Amino acid sequence: MTISRRDVLLGATATAALVPLAARAQTSEVVIGVIYPFSGGSAQQGVDAQKAYETALEVINKDTDFDLPLAKGEGLPGLGGAKVRLVFADHQADPQKGRAEAERLITQEKVSAIIGTYQSAVAVTVSQICERYQIPFVSADNSSPSLHRRGLKYYFRAAPHDEMYSAAMFDFFDAMKKKGTKIETLSLFHEDTIFGTDSGNAQAKIAGERGYKIVTDIKYRANSPSLSAEVQQLKTANADVLMPSSYTTDGILLVKTMAELGYKPNAIVAQDAGFSEKALYDAVGDKLEGVISRGTFSLDLAQKRPMVGKINEMFKARSGKDFNDLTSRQFMGLIILADAISRAKSTDGEKIRDALAATDIPGEQTIMPWKRVKFDEAGQNNDADPVLLQYVGGKFVTIFPPQAAIAEAIWPMK
Amino acid sequence: MDKDFAARRRRDLIIAAVLAAIAALTPLFVKDVVVQNIMILTLMYAGLSQSWNILSGYCGQISLGHALYFGLGAYTTELLFTKFGVLPWFGMLAGGAVSALIAMGLGYPFFRLRGHYFVIATIVIAEIGLLLFHNWEWAGAAMGITIPIRGDSWLKFQFLRTKLPYFYFALALCCLAWFVTWWLENSKWGFWWRAVKDNPEAAESLGVDVFNSKMGAAAVSAFLVAVGGSFYAQFVSYIDPESVMGFQFSLLMALPAVLGGIGTLWGPVLGAAILIPLTELTRFKFGGSGRGVDLIVYGTLIVLISLALPRGLLSLFSRPKKTGAAR
Amino acid sequence: MGLLYGLIAVGLALIFGLMDVTNFAHGEFLMIAMYLSFFLFAFFAIDPLLSAPLVAAALFVFGAVIYLLLVRFAMRAKANAGMVQIFTTFGLAIVMRGLAQYFFTPDYRSIPQSWLGGKTISIAGIFLPEPQLVGALVSILAFVGLYFFIHRTDFGRAIEATREDPGAVALVGIDKNRVFAFGWGLGAALVGLAGAIMAVFFYIYPDVGASFALIAYVTVALGGFGSVFGAFAGGIIVGLVEAVTALVLPPSLKSVGIYAVYLLVVFIRPRGLFGSI
Repeated sequence: MTISRRDVLLGATATAALVPLAARAQTSEVVIGVIYPFSGGSAQQGVDAQKAYETALEVINKDTDFDLPLAKGEGLPGLGGAKVRLVFADHQADPQKGRAEAERLITQEKVSAIIGTYQSAVAVTVSQICERYQIPFVSADNSSPSLHRRGLKYYFRAAPHDEMYSAAMFDFFDAMKKKGTKIETLSLFHEDTIFGTDSGNAQAKIAGERGYKIVTDIKYRANSPSLSAEVQQLKTANADVLMPSSYTTDGILLVKTMAELGYKPNAIVAQDAGFSEKALYDAVGDKLEGVISRGTFSLDLAQKRPMVGKINEMFKARSGKDFNDLTSRQFMGLIILADAISRAKSTDGEKIRDALAATDIPGEQTIMPWKRVKFDEAGQNNDADPVLLQYVGGKFVTIFPPQAAIAEAIWPMK
Repeated sequence: MDKDFAARRRRDLIIAAVLAAIAALTPLFVKDVVVQNIMILTLMYAGLSQSWNILSGYCGQISLGHALYFGLGAYTTELLFTKFGVLPWFGMLAGGAVSALIAMGLGYPFFRLRGHYFVIATIVIAEIGLLLFHNWEWAGAAMGITIPIRGDSWLKFQFLRTKLPYFYFALALCCLAWFVTWWLENSKWGFWWRAVKDNPEAAESLGVDVFNSKMGAAAVSAFLVAVGGSFYAQFVSYIDPESVMGFQFSLLMALPAVLGGIGTLWGPVLGAAILIPLTELTRFKFGGSGRGVDLIVYGTLIVLISLALPRGLLSLFSRPKKTGAAR
Repeated sequence: MGLLYGLIAVGLALIFGLMDVTNFAHGEFLMIAMYLSFFLFAFFAIDPLLSAPLVAAALFVFGAVIYLLLVRFAMRAKANAGMVQIFTTFGLAIVMRGLAQYFFTPDYRSIPQSWLGGKTISIAGIFLPEPQLVGALVSILAFVGLYFFIHRTDFGRAIEATREDPGAVALVGIDKNRVFAFGWGLGAALVGLAGAIMAVFFYIYPDVGASFALIAYVTVALGGFGSVFGAFAGGIIVGLVEAVTALVLPPSLKSVGIYAVYLLVVFIRPRGLFGSI
């Protein structure tokens, strides 16, 4: 390649400046806005997300040999090989800032679509702004079920939401019960922001429907300095399964406090988030042998689909980490979005929206264990099957659903 | 001195009118929504800081818990709107009234406290409010409230694309807070507060009803901040406890006044005009890096300004005259 | 846990109470101490318990330098000294967080293995985690030491005297800056100790100080400014109230109990439990 990236950028800026809006379809680059927390308490997720998107960008813009949309050939074929450029913006976990950044990206950076945001509260305002400007918003890694129920036309989520995840957990419990495992009582343990509240509500609802008894339902303050009192209650209740919905910080503290107070549940089935973070396992992995977490991604998929392993290596080269549940969703989100832009053959928001709505990618052409990617009217992909993973011997193995599983669940955990 | 004072007040009023008129015309030239957004936030924080300044600057009761009133304003408005269909305009007044009442209720025990004890009490009470809203299911708890959007409407004070109505409302709020401050400066209360600041014991012995005037300051200050909160809720069209009642709002209300000049008429406006655009720009410029550079720049500036100009930026402009009048 | 709050708060009490200087960067001091212990562990495999004195010494220097470089000037401000202090230290807190993120990355870290980590002594069914036990022991020692230091040594009296009447002290030939720099160093060193112990059982990231800072302020004020014993007692009360509230109310409201107790105390005794100013 003789043209450097900078030349492409310069050319693009020049063209963008000269060419009026309608003719933008000819541009040699497509700009996508990426909104994440890059400072503050969840900055780590933002930084990891950045690496995931850059990996996806490499797959899209360079010629790679994967069975993914857009992997082969350079750039977006639908736009004559136009390159994708990402603009990163920091929302600092503040809905107002997310809103302002979305508006800035749309009006000043002229992005064709926006992807984000980790925090669900920010996704609420960002997606509203996108709706107003008729720019598609891809919710890569927000899992709050309320998000797609607001009647927005420009909202899309390829990944499962918490109700789907929780349903999968209870499917798993049902299956285990059939095999004779005793699972009757549950302890819910969730943090008090949108993520934890939504997840706790969903779990409580399904538990009621399927006849499981919730013996404790503890909502705790996120980033508490201490969880001793909470863990003491969990210990007293001593349910068959502990179901935490916690971010990394609280997750680490929870596990440490449990060890200190001598609480060892039969099984922990976690709602992802902190329990899919490398940092948590670096810190307390030795105490978590046999923990089960839901997810949408599993590295052992690489055994069936070798490209998963290769793409993971690309990501690892950038970030020093394996793909996890969040970063894999972010990667896939950008691929799906870019594919839609290419098919739209346009950078116009409405055309991209229609192309997204028409998306139908078979599961084999993703790095996820999903059936396929196809959005319903609310912009939710209902074919994104969650999986349950168990942490065994320092890595995750898929144990549920049966068609994706490569091992039997170890129950009770050690 | 008295003549001087009257002349200065007249001059202040004229300057304010001119500035407001210029501000009102800017949208004719500034079409960029991002810049408009910054202007709206600047005006809003100027208004909030001005209101904060009434209690904390003039009256000397430093509060770092004004986020409580901001959040109450936002929540009252949106709860009334989404649950009972009460128009935001009435909700705004209701929110102001609720906040003013609570401020007075709290003032009763709080004003006995001095110094750090008072400051910490205000932080703590706002924190309690935040936690209660976080756990109040009916008010949406952590999920917050999404304001349903049904298209442009003055009645419901919501607009899809244009920002001008928000801009003018923020401007009006800022002007109102300024005018109230201006008016209070020359009122009986204003004189009392100056007396109290100079010498609390003496003022008390003179029979000045300091306590009632403090309650008044708290109520006015809380009312205006709550109106700001209602505005913010309509503007962002989504609220959750953290984003309207978090501690950062208490600080953000105090910062412009402190940077510009605490207990002064122009300090909050000046402070907001510099601070808010700066915050936004450092974030645009460095925020995407994920390395905390925006925090370093922002924090360093705060340290430098508060160290170099303890009286605030306004002290750069004041002539080396007796401070009594300059304040 | 209460005793650890006590230890964090005693350090703050020295700065906040004895010298009457607001320090909004206290939580960030804690953060720095935790990172120090972490890096000493990660690169030199020094157990946090051993490195605690090192960390405390480093924090002592850090605290003194911060005083000499920044706070000295903030205290000199003629107008609005209170606000200048609040915002100088608040700005400092933001810078420290930014720097921590810049140099240490926002990754969550923690010390996976240490002499004490995860070990628990169980007496009659009550579990007492060893790190907290040691933390409690260290707090008591530090507190006793500090108590004697302030009430039994010339230097301790000098600190108190300097706060009360800097002019008079200068006349007797005590350099105010040296005394206060020492006080800041000492306060920071205590937080250093707390940080080193907490690094054993807590996670570490640039914003970690924030969760503790407010509790520390409340603790100091609850005990009363100007009283080291008050801060210590405040810490124990806060720890107890927190545990009790978590049983009565939903745990997510447990801090409400602490705050309510603070308000109750200052309404009855406007100067905190043992306060002198």
